[in-house]
Amino acid sequence: MKKKKTLTGFIVVMLVLFLAACGSSGSSGSSGSSDSGSGGNSGTSASTSSNSGSQASQQSEAKDTASKYPEREIQLIVPFAAGGASDSISRIIAKGMEEHLQKPVVVVNKTGGTGGVGLSFVEASANDGYIMGYTPVELTMHKPLGLSELEPSKFEFIAQVTKIPAAVTVPIDAPYNTLEEFVEYARNNKLTVGSSGAGSIWHVAAAAFGQAAGFEFNHVPFDGAAPAVTALMGGHIDVVMVSVGEVKSGIEAGKLKLLGVMSNERDPNFPDVPTLKEAGYDVEIAGWGGFILPKGTPQDIIDILAEAIEKAAQSDEFKEFTQKQGMLMEYKKGAEFKEFAESQFQFFSELIPTMGLK
Amino acid sequence: MDSLMQLLGGFETALSWWNLFYCLVGVTVGMLVGVLPGLGPATATALLIPITFGMDPISAIIMLAGIYYGGMYGGTITSVLINTPGEAASVITCLDGYPLAKQGRAGVALGVAAIGSFIGGTISIIGLAFIGPALAEWALKFGPPEFFALMLFGLVMVVGLMGRSLIRGLIAAFLGLILSLVGLDPVSGAQRFTFGQPFLLEGFDIVTITMGLFGISEILLGMESMYKTGELPKVKGLLPRRDEWKPTMKAIGRGTALGFVSGLVPGTSSTIPALLSYSLERQIAKDKSRFGKGAIEGVAGPETANNAYCGSALIPLFTLGIPSSPTIAILLGAFIMHGLTPGPTLFMENPNFVWAIIASMFIGNLILLIMNLPLAGMWAKVALVPPKLLYPIILLITVLGAYSINNSLWDVGVMYAFGIIGYFMKKLDIPMAPVVLTIVLSKLMETSLTQSMTIFEGNMFAFFQRPISATLIVLSIVVLIFSVFAEVKNKKSALAGDIEM
Repeated sequence: MKKKKTLTGFIVVMLVLFLAACGSSGSSGSSGSSDSGSGGNSGTSASTSSNSGSQASQQSEAKDTASKYPEREIQLIVPFAAGGASDSISRIIAKGMEEHLQKPVVVVNKTGGTGGVGLSFVEASANDGYIMGYTPVELTMHKPLGLSELEPSKFEFIAQVTKIPAAVTVPIDAPYNTLEEFVEYARNNKLTVGSSGAGSIWHVAAAAFGQAAGFEFNHVPFDGAAPAVTALMGGHIDVVMVSVGEVKSGIEAGKLKLLGVMSNERDPNFPDVPTLKEAGYDVEIAGWGGFILPKGTPQDIIDILAEAIEKAAQSDEFKEFTQKQGMLMEYKKGAEFKEFAESQFQFFSELIPTMGLK
Repeated sequence: MDSLMQLLGGFETALSWWNLFYCLVGVTVGMLVGVLPGLGPATATALLIPITFGMDPISAIIMLAGIYYGGMYGGTITSVLINTPGEAASVITCLDGYPLAKQGRAGVALGVAAIGSFIGGTISIIGLAFIGPALAEWALKFGPPEFFALMLFGLVMVVGLMGRSLIRGLIAAFLGLILSLVGLDPVSGAQRFTFGQPFLLEGFDIVTITMGLFGISEILLGMESMYKTGELPKVKGLLPRRDEWKPTMKAIGRGTALGFVSGLVPGTSSTIPALLSYSLERQIAKDKSRFGKGAIEGVAGPETANNAYCGSALIPLFTLGIPSSPTIAILLGAFIMHGLTPGPTLFMENPNFVWAIIASMFIGNLILLIMNLPLAGMWAKVALVPPKLLYPIILLITVLGAYSINNSLWDVGVMYAFGIIGYFMKKLDIPMAPVVLTIVLSKLMETSLTQSMTIFEGNMFAFFQRPISATLIVLSIVVLIFSVFAEVKNKKSALAGDIEM
């Protein structure tokens, strides 16, 4: 009997210790690495913010006693899943911000509702500057799509960091090599266009192109851009209009070819590929990403964060990342970003109802 | 053999002290994470990415990859011991693993799973190393129509798992189908059954449902008999009996093949090879009635299949830059953050890197086997912990797991709700595995069906014009007819038997 009790007790202690270790692994595991000196840079949900909070308060005691913002760790809410574009961008910027602010910036993923869950969370959070969010273009598309009541006027805008133009990509053996040939063919034959989902930015890009050039298409939605590109490589669909980064490896493998990009300038990775504007179609659609705060956050906090983001966006690491991903680094500060977001919101509010999604 | 030389070079890098250490850390974390229901390898990988920022890229990926396949080893443990699958793929393991544990043979189940996982994992890594690129080409032929046919096949296989009562099984299956409808319609984006709740926009999360249906309901059920002191079965042995070795090894062989092939197709999840393997074993077995009561092949086959899947699922990533599953997508993100672009150019531009990782996967699998075999015995003893101590701990772990999915209490609530549903289902003898399996399958199935219809412009017969989808659909129809026929035959003989009495 005694043996059993000891064994049980041992197992219980092990499990509890394991849970405790699991909780604090975020803060203790990173002490061996990195130059940024931040403690709790992986926000495990098992560990509550008290763990990293206590670390941060120790740090602030050690650093300086002036009650300047930020005084403790900042949470960066990413409304999409870990590993995706939004998440990768946020993590690199967060790391850069930490170096500048000397406080941890913890990335927390809150997924669901095409970004709605995370964005709603930011909207409803306290506007003391300790909860910020990453928003992709989807914020300006939510209300027109009927997904939620979210719109730019409900947030404060810190800074934009990326621009991801759409690109027209087809299989390597397709019978058209230029945009003109493509449009000609598309006008006479209904092509299948893949995208990352109904109402996604790439679907909207295709619709905008179709409207401007006068062709219709069959829309085939996929669970993200990657499956769409896979189907394209297998020849199951005719064309995708997703970002350059997502088709880059397919092009390098010699399976896909890029016909045009929907931006103002040519893509630096593919200088031979024309823009749609050069070909005569006034279409400029790009995904973009930036950082936001709950409405009513004081301007000086916004400015401090904007500066930190600017430094992070201009770091070599971010530059390398965007270059490899086929994204463009584009920094727009505060008011300019807000204006841009509002104009995008207007644009999508007019375009999306014509797409017949509902 | 150029590849062999490069592989040896890879071993040289992978066997450095630091990389060995990172590999060990990776697989350990992966295994532990697999044990905890709810906290999957995806979350763990994502959480540990920041730690890898300061590390050498090779070491970073070695560690993260370790988490990925280590997770598959760990999921078995909770499935066998407490009938709570760690992830959707482990649901299949519960079916025969848990009965084995109740017979005191938990050690055997875990041991066989460990051995099978090792063999499956290693062979699929060999495949990745040597024939990967060629196979990736073939895998591209799987478009939406082929997907639909594959899912249809899987669904028909689920029917074969119905157990004694076809009606009850069908109830479970349809319940799963209905649940999978919740969320956004994949084509039009229309909201179905969401009742205005943002949390339901993505539908129900499979992990919360699984944990609730299996884990919480098990606790609720166990609480009924908690105060009866029964004889707890003794835990004997770690390895199968002599006469069981041969069928076990055969099951492992088949599981490897199934898992490897499934992994090549981008977009499938590890549930599918596990399901196919279990059904296959059951169909082939001479005595079908052993399944569900502790047939060792029912554990060996699926466990091998899902580890073999892990290895070959990396082939689309390495050769084409396409992630097959959410965890791999995170791995892709990690690759990119460290400045490497997976794809066809990866083998050419960074051969050292690729071969070092492949070598480390061999090592990782070996480490896992060494860790798991003795540990299996220790884990098995957990089954001896008295329920009143075990249940609170399980509750704690499952709640944490459910919360960790989205940092939200909504998932915890869903889990509890399904726990209650599962409790009633158990009382009514409605099998639960079909619910989970149909949810997984039908989401993929609906998407691929609508995609295929769009591509075919409504022409249903086009399915039969494509070789792969035609084969699979015909196969499904054949299996379906067979199963129904067999069921009717059983009923007839059962009825006859009753009349005799």
